[in-house]
Order: sequence, then C-alpha cells, then structure tokens
Amino acid sequence: MTDNVYDLIQLDELSGGDQEFISMMVDTFLEHTPGQLEELIKAQAGNDMATFGAIAHKIKPNIDMFGIKTIIADIRDLEQLGREGQNNEELKSKLENVKAELMIAFEQLRQR
Amino acid sequence: MSLMKIFLVEDNELYAKAIKHHLSLNPDNQVEHFLNGKSCLEKLYLQPGCILLDYSLPGISGIDVLKKIKSSQPDLPVIIVSGQEDVATAIDLLKEGAYDYIVKDQNSKERIWKAINNLRENAKLRNELDRLREEVNLKYDFSNIKGSSVEIKKVFKLIEKATRTNITVSIAGETGTGKELVAKAIHYNSKNKKQALVTVNIAAIPKDLLESELFGHEKGAFTGALSKRIGKFEEANGGTLFLDEIAEMDLNLQAKLLRILQERVVTRIGSNKEIKVETRIIVATHQNLKELVSKGDFREDLYYRLLGLPIELPPLRNRESDIILLAKFFLSTFIQENNMEELRISDLAQKKLSSYRWPGNVRELKAVIELGAVLAEDGLIAEKDLNFNTIGDELDNLVGKGLTLKDYDRKLINYYLKNNNNNVVEVAKLLDIGKSTLYRMLKNNELTVN
Repeated sequence: MTDNVYDLIQLDELSGGDQEFISMMVDTFLEHTPGQLEELIKAQAGNDMATFGAIAHKIKPNIDMFGIKTIIADIRDLEQLGREGQNNEELKSKLENVKAELMIAFEQLRQR
Repeated sequence: MSLMKIFLVEDNELYAKAIKHHLSLNPDNQVEHFLNGKSCLEKLYLQPGCILLDYSLPGISGIDVLKKIKSSQPDLPVIIVSGQEDVATAIDLLKEGAYDYIVKDQNSKERIWKAINNLRENAKLRNELDRLREEVNLKYDFSNIKGSSVEIKKVFKLIEKATRTNITVSIAGETGTGKELVAKAIHYNSKNKKQALVTVNIAAIPKDLLESELFGHEKGAFTGALSKRIGKFEEANGGTLFLDEIAEMDLNLQAKLLRILQERVVTRIGSNKEIKVETRIIVATHQNLKELVSKGDFREDLYYRLLGLPIELPPLRNRESDIILLAKFFLSTFIQENNMEELRISDLAQKKLSSYRWPGNVRELKAVIELGAVLAEDGLIAEKDLNFNTIGDELDNLVGKGLTLKDYDRKLINYYLKNNNNNVVEVAKLLDIGKSTLYRMLKNNELTVN
C-alpha cells in the first residue's frame, strides 16, 4: 500500500469511508483521465499550447483529488507553461514525469 | 431547513461527482449537474436557488454564462468555482454580479458548503422579511380601522386620497382617537410602503435633544456627541416621517423644520454639508394648531406648510354607532391573542358602553373591553365587568346620553354617595333633599352602596 503513487485520503474523508462511492470515483477517474492525458500529449506534439494549458487545467483537480503528490506541482507548471506558449525542454521533461506517474497510478488503481 | 435546488455547471465529471456527493450530505440540497453552460441556461426556467459555475467551460465561457444568467435572473446567486487563482479575474466576475469566487483546491468543498449555507440563511431572512412586510401591510390595511359611522367613513375617504400622492398630511384629534393608526394606514398603503416609516413623538423627547434626534449630529458636535448619528429625517429618507404631537415643538426648532420642508435638505449639527431628503411628512396633534398660531405659540408659515391634507379624527362619542362594533372587534382580537374561550357582551353591558362619554376614545374602549374580558365569568361580559377609570369629572358622562330625569337623579346621588363614604345624612344635606327619600331609594335598590 505504501508504494502507491496515489493517496485516497481526500476521497475517504469526503465520503466518510463509503467504499462504493470511492470505487465509483476511481472508475470515473480511470474513464476520463487516460483520454485527457492522451489529448495533452497530442496537443504538445502539435504545438497547440492553448489547448495544452486548458487540458492541464482540467487534469489538475483529478491529480489533487487522487493525491498523486509527486506531480501536483508539475501539472500546475505545465498549465502555466502551456498558457505562456512555452513548448520547451522544461515542459517536455515535466510532461514525461506527469505521464509516467499517471500511468503508474492508472495501473495501481485498476488493480486495487 | 428549506429545500434548495442547486445547478452545478462543471465539465470535469470527477470534480462534479465529488461536489455533488459532498453537497448531497445535506438532504435539503438538490444538486443537478450540467456539463456545459448551454444546457444549464436551457434549464433556468426550473428556478434553481443558486448556481455553482465552473469558470473554464467548453463552448460558452463561464463569464458569458454568468452574464446571460444575470441578464435574465439578476437575483439568482451564482458562485464561481475556478481552478485559477487569479485575483483580477475574481474581481471582474464579482463585478459582473457573481455571489462568490471559490478556487478549486483542497478546501473548496468546505467553502462551497459554507457559501450554500449562507445563501440558504439569506433566503430564509429574505422570506421572513417579506412575510413581516406583508403582515405589516395587512395590519395597517384600511380594514383595521374599524367603523361604519358617517364620521369614520369620511376619514376613510381622506386616507385613501392621502395614499395617492406624497402630500403632507396633518391629523388632528383627541387623544386615543387613532392618529398613529391613520398615519400607518397612509404610509403602508402608499407607493413608499417598502421604505421606512419613522415615528417621532415630539412630546416624549426633551427639548434640548430634539434637534439632534431630528437632524442628526457629527462626532464632537456637542458635549456627549461621542459618535456620528443620523437623524430621523435621514432615516426616513424615501419613506415617511410621522411627527406626533407637533404642537409641542418649540419656536426655534419650528423655524428649522420650516427650512427643511422648504429646501428638502437637512444639515447635521456640527456639519455644513447639506443632505438631500425626500421624506413624506405626516404630523399629528390633539391641540388646535390654529388657536396656537393666534396665540403666537406656533409659526403661521409652518402651520400652512404642514396643513397639507387635514384629517380630523372624530371623538368616539361622536361615532356612537361604532362603539359596539369596535368593542366586539377588540374583544375578538383579545380572545384570539390569548387563546381564550368565546365571550359575549351582555345587553346591559352594551347599553353601558353606548351611554359612556369615552374621554379616552378608542384607546380607552380597548382597555375597558380587555379588562372586561379578563373579569368576565360564564362566557359573558356583564355590566359589572366594565370599569371606567375616567380622569376628571365623572358627571361629564351624564350629559347627552338620552337618560331619563330619574336616571340622572340616581346617577347623581350615587356619585355623591361614592364620594362621601355612603354617608346618607351628608349627601342629603349636600343635595338638599330629604334623608327619607334617600333611604327609600336605597330600600328600592335604586342606589348603589358599596
């Protein structure tokens, strides 16, 4: 359990430990976030930085809610860099990081 | 608690589900989720109690949705929930009429919860205020001034005329005739009824405080003026100022009042700044203002300025046909207010009420009936339950009541007996009649000896 990149404490607090609700939220996360990540990668590749910033903005609360702490700062930086139109090395590196952590989170959440 | 329909406009399903779940912890919250602004705008006819609106929405932006909501339903509270911690954006949205701006972070759920609770509390207070306003309107409806006599009908007509414009009204009448009730009926049926009705009883305020009470003062304007205070004229701005017992105002202040009525501006004591006031004035007095003018106790120019529409309230003794009607009205109100059993006024008691002179007018009648209701037994207010505590000469009440000479004799002798400790010898001497006559009347139960 301690190896998980995510932390469901927020959802646990919100639902008062209601496992049914937590499962429903996990399902919703797994239903929407992988697609959003794909769109984010696509926007960066196509240098569509306005869309990139907007998608990062949408992913941000999901990362917060699922307590994926290692990328909480990165997703904010990506949103900011995207809004500023800076498709640079810093952005690419942070995007890689976000992608990697999210992929791990998806896998771990599917197996929980 | 009351049910509140909440529209949640949020394209992030995860966040929307979390908020919906959180708000649904209160069963009085009914949350409906919309993925975009367009679908929310299409459902506005369902009259939500508030809208939680995401700032970054696909299609129509959050700010445009806000503008559209405000243009069709300006009073509908909209709480913006945004992932952007941008003060300038927040200010712009608040300027556009947003009720609150909440940043999506770990605390946003609690802040939304609090904002919704505040809205519910505000709505409750607003409903309470509307209910009280309605109650006040009903209370001072014309129908609350009871009577069917020719004299009171004339008054009704004048009140109705007074409500159509903001003309100054001067109400004259003996004490207890209902001058304040008439002032309230005029105000609460006028177009300014939602504004304040401020009442000042000139006779009840010490002369040296009256000026500050009426016009207000600045901090330090005089010893004891520890803070700024607005006067009654300003308080009543847009509404009505009722100056009761206007004849008690001293000449110096009368001059100042005249200036305000002419210029429609007040100046607080200790200030040079003129404040515009649009206040309807209603004055009342139990004195004859014209007489006071001729004696030099009231300014003639102010008299004419205040005269406006004069309403003369008839004394109760001149509306004899209204006495029983009013008595029954006061009785039924008192019974209702005190959850009492039904009571009736006996025929003899009604006769007693009708034959009294009522120097304290309607106010006195109300007090007599209420006491009568308390003293009554077996569901009936009897003659003995009606107690008149007339200040002054009781014999005033004998005049003009259609009594027989025998009735007058009886009442007069009773009066003397009461005031002479039932001393028959003394009374016989005072009235210059034979003791045997008095004893005979006592024997025949024609007199009352307590």
